[in-house]
Amino acid sequence: MFHLGWFLGNGTGMYPWYGTWANTYGKDWTKPGFFIDLATSLERGGFDLMFIEDTAMLEDTYGGSLDMTLRYGMMAPKNDPMPYIPLMAQATKHLGLVGTVSTIQYPPYLAARQAVTLDHLTNGRSGINVVTSVSHRVAQNYGYDQHLAPAERYAMAQEWMDVVSALWESWDPDAIVLDYDEPRYADYTKVHPINFEGKYFKCRGPLNTIPGPQRRPVVAQAGNSTGGRELAAAHADTMLALAKTPDEMRALREDMDQRLIAHGRKPADLKILFMTVPVTAETDEDARELVRRDEVARQASEAIAQRLWYLSYTSGGMIDYSAYDLDGPVPQEIGVGETTTSRAWLENSEKMTLRELATGPFNYGIDFVGSFGTVAEQMGEAIEVAGPNCGYLIYQPRMSRKDVINITDGLCPVLRDRGLIRSSYEYKTFRENLLAF
Amino acid sequence: MFHLGWFLGDSTGIHKWWGEWASSNGTDWMKPDIYLDLATSLERGGFDLMFIEDTAMVEDTLGGTMEITLKYGEMAPKNDPMPYIPLMAQATKHLGLVGTVSTIQYPPYLAARQAVTLDHLTNGRSGINVVTSVSHRVAQNFGYDRHLAHAERYAMADEWMRVVSALWESWDPDAIVLDYEEPRYADYMKVHPINFEGKYFKCRGPLNTIPGPQRRPVVAQAGNSEPGRELAAAHADVILALCKNPDEMKALRQDFDRRLVAHGRKPSDLKILFMTIPVVAETDADAREVSRRLAAKRHDKDEIEMRLWGMSYASGGTIDYLKYDLDGPVPQEIGTGETTTARAWLENSAQMTLRELVTGPFNYGMDFVGSFDTVAEQMGEAMEVAGGDGFLVYEPVTRHHIINITDGLCPALRRRGLIRSSYDYPTFRENLLAFLSRTESG
Repeated sequence: MFHLGWFLGNGTGMYPWYGTWANTYGKDWTKPGFFIDLATSLERGGFDLMFIEDTAMLEDTYGGSLDMTLRYGMMAPKNDPMPYIPLMAQATKHLGLVGTVSTIQYPPYLAARQAVTLDHLTNGRSGINVVTSVSHRVAQNYGYDQHLAPAERYAMAQEWMDVVSALWESWDPDAIVLDYDEPRYADYTKVHPINFEGKYFKCRGPLNTIPGPQRRPVVAQAGNSTGGRELAAAHADTMLALAKTPDEMRALREDMDQRLIAHGRKPADLKILFMTVPVTAETDEDARELVRRDEVARQASEAIAQRLWYLSYTSGGMIDYSAYDLDGPVPQEIGVGETTTSRAWLENSEKMTLRELATGPFNYGIDFVGSFGTVAEQMGEAIEVAGPNCGYLIYQPRMSRKDVINITDGLCPVLRDRGLIRSSYEYKTFRENLLAF
Repeated sequence: MFHLGWFLGDSTGIHKWWGEWASSNGTDWMKPDIYLDLATSLERGGFDLMFIEDTAMVEDTLGGTMEITLKYGEMAPKNDPMPYIPLMAQATKHLGLVGTVSTIQYPPYLAARQAVTLDHLTNGRSGINVVTSVSHRVAQNFGYDRHLAHAERYAMADEWMRVVSALWESWDPDAIVLDYEEPRYADYMKVHPINFEGKYFKCRGPLNTIPGPQRRPVVAQAGNSEPGRELAAAHADVILALCKNPDEMKALRQDFDRRLVAHGRKPSDLKILFMTIPVVAETDADAREVSRRLAAKRHDKDEIEMRLWGMSYASGGTIDYLKYDLDGPVPQEIGTGETTTARAWLENSAQMTLRELVTGPFNYGMDFVGSFDTVAEQMGEAMEVAGGDGFLVYEPVTRHHIINITDGLCPALRRRGLIRSSYDYPTFRENLLAFLSRTESG
């Protein structure tokens, strides 16, 4: 058995708003309806969690302007994801809801309190995905001239997590007395200031609310660099991972096992969810036809420009790919943004032209193509190689209701029939279910 | 006609949890249920808005420990109010929902984006109450050694509001194109960086989401000090006010008329909601009996402790009233916290003992005592003198106290034509500004 997460890769923002299946999304993306439908579908499918991405900027690396970004609605506009979580929680009973929180955007006290409030409102299903923010543009919205260097971002994130964790522990488990006769609500000797003083943060505490059902909300981490892996090994319950083959999956799992042990934790304390963009349909032939159509679509100048836009974004604002000749070589610089993503995208591109790269496979995680039965089989086999404590994070970049249903009502029943995913949620809280097998 | 707001004075925190009518508040305060009941009741009653207080600390001024705070659950525990707003919005159609946002807790970009997101999710009913945070304890949770001095807090808040306002204006009204053929979502020439560089904040912008139905969410302000009034005159649509009689109400309204004009705004651009804790029941005799019982209860040891706790809190952590002899004089120092509240509480106390003060009337805004009809009449008369604009009703959060107002008092007000019987506009601000104060309408 493995765990399934859904990667809501553009947060509570724009998804394809023109073309087939876009329907009214161009107008309705700000409304909760689509996200509530997604949440109930994921629960029906047997998913453990929804992983909600976030960014807080309008990207303008590609071409040095907002033109492309706003023409297609790329990563923008995007609403604050947190207010959607209570609504998705009300429509579901078991699904874990993980909102992205950046360590340069949220003071740790605010984030710690919000996550615990959401834990109360979700009956123990709240989680945060701790990120350091990728680009200068985000940092500039939050008072910085330029973002910190990647190593320092992670040093800051470690400290941020230390503050948040200490606030989550600032009420002893037996602090609440609830004596109606005396009256006495809580025993003040069991509630403690944290008096944290670090290099980046200072916080007195204690937190001004009581622990929720999970006490410590689930912590997720999305970076695969050494800094990201260390942050996950120290603090996280689950991690988003990019690997292209079962062997790469296993190598990452083994690396994380060693890191967890070095941090005094068990390998089973961290679930790794491997990113995948499965192409799946009723028959193998149907799935191959979808791949074929996608290959054709990638040749369009619009699609090429969008791919180059993403490469520019993941460089952290360092490389404007519109400035290079499409039929010249691929610049090999990695930049300072989503470095793991950039490396994956640039792998083996030394001999390619930029056009070949931009019209080639998406290369985001592990690829599965085939009928629901074929893909279920492949997913099971890859996890067999990767080892225990692994699962998948399913991503559908051109997400419409049709893409959601294709997974939750097409693929999931087949995975469930094979005993590869859960058929029920046995525990009350998100973390208990996440760590159940 | 006047406007009604409900002051959720202990936010989404613990409410009256022991004694009569507390029901299951002790274990259920963090669940959405009571807030949903409150929101739907307020809309049934004809309220314009719910004003949700917030603080982010566990107080320890009184006695120098958290003991009294956590014994009674005074201002703590308290959940983040913002995640409750989408839920209350789903259960209602018209009620304005105003969450408190502190300028030392929220980076302006985060607050601006959250408020607009909520404006989308509430269909144009989102508002923020901009505060500067009262005490050192809050500041210490957010990286400060001590809180800034009072005047500087407001200088910072003014700058914070300027950043937030600029972000709210960073998309031109016609920026969204939605051309399905080209395709083109928005015209990038109509979306602008704000490039704000101030003394306290720096922010490039633009905001990464589109304006909501109100474009600019409603802005509320709660401080009545000189800098608080200036902040409201510059930025706010509505202000919470503390006055003890109709003449004070009128004076405050006139003061604001002048300030608004000085800021290039119209007096009708800002509504003043006067705090009141009405004691109201089916008959005058019932209300007097409730009032008599409340007065008797104020001599209980618990009640005295809680009053001293509140005064210590309002001092901004500078005065521990437990150190003073209950039968000695009242220390006259004001402190650095909620200075308007502290002044109101200490007014005319120079000749009193501390016990007399803390067992006396609560003195928090306007007092009304009587039957639903009597209080409705008195509220109408007071507003007639003041010339606008409404009341902010503050009551314990129990189902009994909520219903007493929304289903007891509100129908009496509505029969007299004193409050709305319908919501005429789709958005919160339009409804809030729908009827003029009497001074302006002549």
